[in-house]
Amino acid sequence: MLTNAPTLETQNLILRGPRHEDARAVLDFLCDTERSAGFGAHDNRSDAWRWFALNVGHWHWHGYGYFTIEDKETGAPAGITGVWNPHGWPEPELGWVVFRGFEGKGIAYEAAHRARAWAYAPDGLGLATLTSNIVPGNTRSVALAERLGATYERTYTNVHMGEDMMYRHPSPETLAAEGMA
Amino acid sequence: MTATTFTIPTLETDRLILRAHREEDIAAEKAFFATDASRFVGGPLPAHRAWRTVAMMIGHWALRGYGFWALEHKATGTYLGRVGLWFPDGWDEREVGWTLMPAAWGKGFATEAAEAARTYAYDILGWDTAISQIDPENEPSKAVARRLGATFEKTYEDPEYGTIEVWRHPAPESLVNGGMEAYA
Repeated sequence: MLTNAPTLETQNLILRGPRHEDARAVLDFLCDTERSAGFGAHDNRSDAWRWFALNVGHWHWHGYGYFTIEDKETGAPAGITGVWNPHGWPEPELGWVVFRGFEGKGIAYEAAHRARAWAYAPDGLGLATLTSNIVPGNTRSVALAERLGATYERTYTNVHMGEDMMYRHPSPETLAAEGMA
Repeated sequence: MTATTFTIPTLETDRLILRAHREEDIAAEKAFFATDASRFVGGPLPAHRAWRTVAMMIGHWALRGYGFWALEHKATGTYLGRVGLWFPDGWDEREVGWTLMPAAWGKGFATEAAEAARTYAYDILGWDTAISQIDPENEPSKAVARRLGATFEKTYEDPEYGTIEVWRHPAPESLVNGGMEAYA
């Protein structure tokens, strides 16, 4: 096992720690510069592999990072979601990405919703709040953030991404009160 | 730090402890990467990139089963830099590498640590050869390679780092008692 990530389940998906065999799909995504522009694109597979290794190291230091989203039906990696907080980040953020071929199935919402529930759960990370950082123009991600109940808070300069919009998710208490958790 | 699911062994030499990186080691790495002293290893880099570099090294351990150790000075507990076994995606061959913080230069620490790392590669991991990739202008690093018995093999053009010299380490069977005596 590369990490101590828990395995989470939803109706259609399994969220689990990264595995060796995910590398190809993750590197394909990171090197698809159009698709990964809002995430942090890589122009070569060597650098993309280093991001894959970085995510493993991030899990090791923080106890959280990006899960691989596994499509239950095919077993294929369908994307990544999780909590990300490398050095220089304003605060921990909930992130999500769906790989090519898995769009339009509600996978990002289902996965991010589950990851957030784990991040807030007392027996998960026990976080009191979560943000999502979205580069201006990424309308699909904004739509998903809003569907998750997050609201725009401010625009700031991200050390890695440059101009970035911070969305704030509802607190665990608010989600519980609204029955959204 | 959370428990890991992979093992980073701790090695000891006369003056040094080779151990897993801790997040508090990052302060020294950030300071190092902020200066021109890091020019031979991809620097200078901003602080957030230094953090990513060291976190990525942890991931390398998980993915490859070996990687860079943090170098700790036994007598003082000071973080001196890193030495290790390196084979990221895209590398042609497995490498023995060393990067010391400037305050630790000139004391033979790199040679002492790299020799332990190379012995680990040969004796524990079963490598049958190893290279070190060195910037042509990095004379102190080439001196370390020579002390380790490595010899210049070739240069090549790396798209990221430019011209790189490849130094070849002696094969395990040609090293006696870990190798240092043979080249003392």
